[in-house]
Amino acid sequence: MHPFRYAEPESVAEACRFLKRQGTSAMPIAGGTDLLSEIKDGVAKPESVLNLKRLPSLAHIREQDGALRIGGMTTLSQLQVYPVLRRNFRIIEEALSTLATPQIRAVGTVAGNLCQRPRCLYYRHPLFLCAKKGGTTCFALDGDSRYHAILQNDLCPMVHPSDLAPAFIALEAQVLLAGPEEKRLLPLEEFFLLPGQNLSRETVLKPGEILVEVRVPKPKAGTRGTYLKFRERGAGDFALVSAACSGRVLRGTVAELRLVLGGVAPIPFRARQAEEMLMGQRPKKEFFAAAAQAVLAAATPLSGNRYKIEAARTLMVRAMQAVLK
Amino acid sequence: MREEVAEAALDLIQVEYEILPAFFDPMQAMKPDAFSIHPGGNIAGGKPIVLERGSVEEGFAQAERTFEGTYTTQVHCAAGMEPRVALAQWDGDFLTVWKSSRGIHMLDRPALARGLGIPAQQVRVICPAMGGGFGSKDETRMGTLTALLARKCGKPVRMEYTRQEEFVAGRTRHPSITHLKVGIGRNGEITAIHARTIMSKGAYMSSGSAVIRRCGQGALYLYQTPNAKFEGTLVYTNVPPAGSYRALGAPQGQFALEVHMDKIAEALGLNPLEFRRRHHVKPEGQPGRRLTPPGELVSDQPVEGGIPFSSNRLSECVRLGSRAMGWQRRWRPPNSSPGPKKRGLGMALGLYRGGLAQKAGAEVEARLDGSVEIRVGTIDVGEGAFTTLLQIGAEALEIEPARVTILGGDTATTPEAPVTSGSSTTFSMGTAVQQAAATLKERILDRVCAQLGADRENVKWNKGAIQMNRPTKKTVAWKQALALLSPEERRVRLAIQPGSTEFVINSFAAHFAEVEVDTETGKVAVVKYVAAHDSGRIVNPAAAQNQVEGGVMQMLGYALTEELLVDPKTGIPLNGNFLEHKVPVIVDLPPLKTIFVNAPDPAGPFGAKALGEPPSIPVAPAISNAIYNAIGIRFQDLPITPGKILDQLPLKGRG
Repeated sequence: MHPFRYAEPESVAEACRFLKRQGTSAMPIAGGTDLLSEIKDGVAKPESVLNLKRLPSLAHIREQDGALRIGGMTTLSQLQVYPVLRRNFRIIEEALSTLATPQIRAVGTVAGNLCQRPRCLYYRHPLFLCAKKGGTTCFALDGDSRYHAILQNDLCPMVHPSDLAPAFIALEAQVLLAGPEEKRLLPLEEFFLLPGQNLSRETVLKPGEILVEVRVPKPKAGTRGTYLKFRERGAGDFALVSAACSGRVLRGTVAELRLVLGGVAPIPFRARQAEEMLMGQRPKKEFFAAAAQAVLAAATPLSGNRYKIEAARTLMVRAMQAVLK
Repeated sequence: MREEVAEAALDLIQVEYEILPAFFDPMQAMKPDAFSIHPGGNIAGGKPIVLERGSVEEGFAQAERTFEGTYTTQVHCAAGMEPRVALAQWDGDFLTVWKSSRGIHMLDRPALARGLGIPAQQVRVICPAMGGGFGSKDETRMGTLTALLARKCGKPVRMEYTRQEEFVAGRTRHPSITHLKVGIGRNGEITAIHARTIMSKGAYMSSGSAVIRRCGQGALYLYQTPNAKFEGTLVYTNVPPAGSYRALGAPQGQFALEVHMDKIAEALGLNPLEFRRRHHVKPEGQPGRRLTPPGELVSDQPVEGGIPFSSNRLSECVRLGSRAMGWQRRWRPPNSSPGPKKRGLGMALGLYRGGLAQKAGAEVEARLDGSVEIRVGTIDVGEGAFTTLLQIGAEALEIEPARVTILGGDTATTPEAPVTSGSSTTFSMGTAVQQAAATLKERILDRVCAQLGADRENVKWNKGAIQMNRPTKKTVAWKQALALLSPEERRVRLAIQPGSTEFVINSFAAHFAEVEVDTETGKVAVVKYVAAHDSGRIVNPAAAQNQVEGGVMQMLGYALTEELLVDPKTGIPLNGNFLEHKVPVIVDLPPLKTIFVNAPDPAGPFGAKALGEPPSIPVAPAISNAIYNAIGIRFQDLPITPGKILDQLPLKGRG
């Protein structure tokens, strides 16, 4: 395993300054469940890692007017047992219950889950210097593509593995980023970058910036939500496809709907076409199927992942059926 | 030197490679004009092994209908928690090697002596405990490598695979392609079974010849037929090397056979249960003439007919297992349930060897303090062999098991013993321990009778104490009795040749699976599972149940989720880790009922037969057949992933 120096900052400001100064040679670490496996696999080779989990100010969960403020260093299991979750944030609770294993949830953090690197058998393999790692080729496009993206996959068909990200986006969550000079708040949906925007990184985080808080607004009365995850084994498995759905029916028609897919694209995929088609409509199964079909018309499956289209269709329809009634 | 410094130094070595052609597909590698990975061509041994009883040609000539099909299985890794590891230390000309091993006496010690050019007496091999055997880890190279390095540097040397190396450079289950042809006569009888299997074995020979031999046994022997033939071809390729893994080739061969038989049953309009009940091999064995000369040991993987089994309770397995599954009441024709989640029932049979082994030694010693130590040269690979052998020793001595301890896994302190393989330990080592313990008991009785002037018929053995009735009533306590024997007399060391000259010794199983297939996602959930086994008398029911449950869970992954993915262009394994080589987790395990017929076998120690590997054999075909029963689509290619199911499901009715 590649050796590295270990550092513990005293404050967020110090952490940001350290990371800015060191540039790409330093990496922040939280639960380490992703970064350590990247180091062991020879994909990441940081000279130093900075342990953000030592910053107690980042491990909080607060409620403000019904909205949730979740510190980036909150562990997944701390969030999972937070009492108000079941009542108002069902999607988050469902996503957490499918996420990894109890052992990983006990050390993994909310910020770490959102900032984890993508999954791709080739990207994660030390022997393949793929385009994302600075090489010239994508090995997945004509290699083993069973786990890869079916949407937005022209440059790099990696998939974003986070269960929390689709759930948070379906709830219109925002993220607070702290940098050496300033803080900024933006919708989580805008936090992620497609390979076409930046092939080597998946987020808008600038050097020295860290994700310090997630803010989830309180859903309007009558809102329902669900998170469905389709995977090959019963636990400890990333989603082949997942669907987070939040919506509200008012006087018999769809008044609000957000539908976000995981496991099908390089970043969480917001199924806006489906949302727009259903707004103001009666919530009927044939409309759901048509809306899912419209989303998947854009799919460009590779040789090994055509099945994901059918799985995504099923999950979208089932999620909408569960939510819109 | 620190480990990471050594690793960084390795990275600095510049290697210039001459790029040679590479094969990841055995069909390409075995073409006559293909580049030779080794001199002599890519078919190991130069030609396939061919085994035949009767004449399949004649059998097919008598057939009214023939059925053909092709079945394929994947690269599958044992994925033990403990990676392969060895530590070597020299003391002058004497070498000690600690190693994860299944055969310290018969594999590692001779290989080390040969490899290093020293007498075997100067080599000691110790395997204190195995961290996950699963039928793998029978290779010797790591012991030799560490011994050479230790000699070179004059210090002890340890070598241990990383997790990824374990997947890539350990030994995998051979991927296979099996073509089956079965002839059915006018009265529904099986006139011939012909199986041809091609296995890709990677670039190095390991236990491949035993693997492919075992692959054929189901086709040769599980169903009654006068004509059966197996052709097995082992092909060198450039995928990770394959070798031993629980049941060797049997799961591959019997997956093909049991899915094929399910198809034939349906074509003949028979319930799969009824077809199997009629045609599976019965206690009298296969038709034909015994070829093994009288008085010679009979193979436990025979080709010839005319030899009965020592015991064969397959019919009981089928009866008890189907009853527990509710088969008669609940079985419906394929694709009967309305969906989108459809349920189905499937079954498969299995047979396996376990009655032959190398010469098996055991030592039993009673000490003056009343304790007894059993010494065996085998390894407990996690299956509980030492507990079972201890029980057998205590039973033969008719003393409390609490007085007995067992020592094993060390060539210096134990007599020579076979490799822990072929499910043969209970049968072979059990018999050796039983006989050694019984011999000791006889000695003690003889000595006590001589001392007391009593006849043998007038004394009774009571948990080690000896009670004399005539001429006077008297009891000699266990420790008193032992004090009458010399140290040499208190120790019995003997060796036996396991096997039978009259019977085929096999174990049998019938497995039943109920699945629920989500036809909109392709996800298969195994919702109920019944495993019925004939392994003779069960010595330790808890350990035996554990062995069956472990086997079912292990092969659940083989059936549905596990595969070492190999990049089609470069041959590089892509998922050498526990995350993506998807070993099932505990929530994937269905409610599982284990049934033992529990009828004593006349040849086995206290009636016991083999159990180690059999539970792993019928799992994949039972699940594939259940999926067929649920949705009406056959899957002949393992593992049966949601992707494969969705690709096969007709588009109509979805979405």
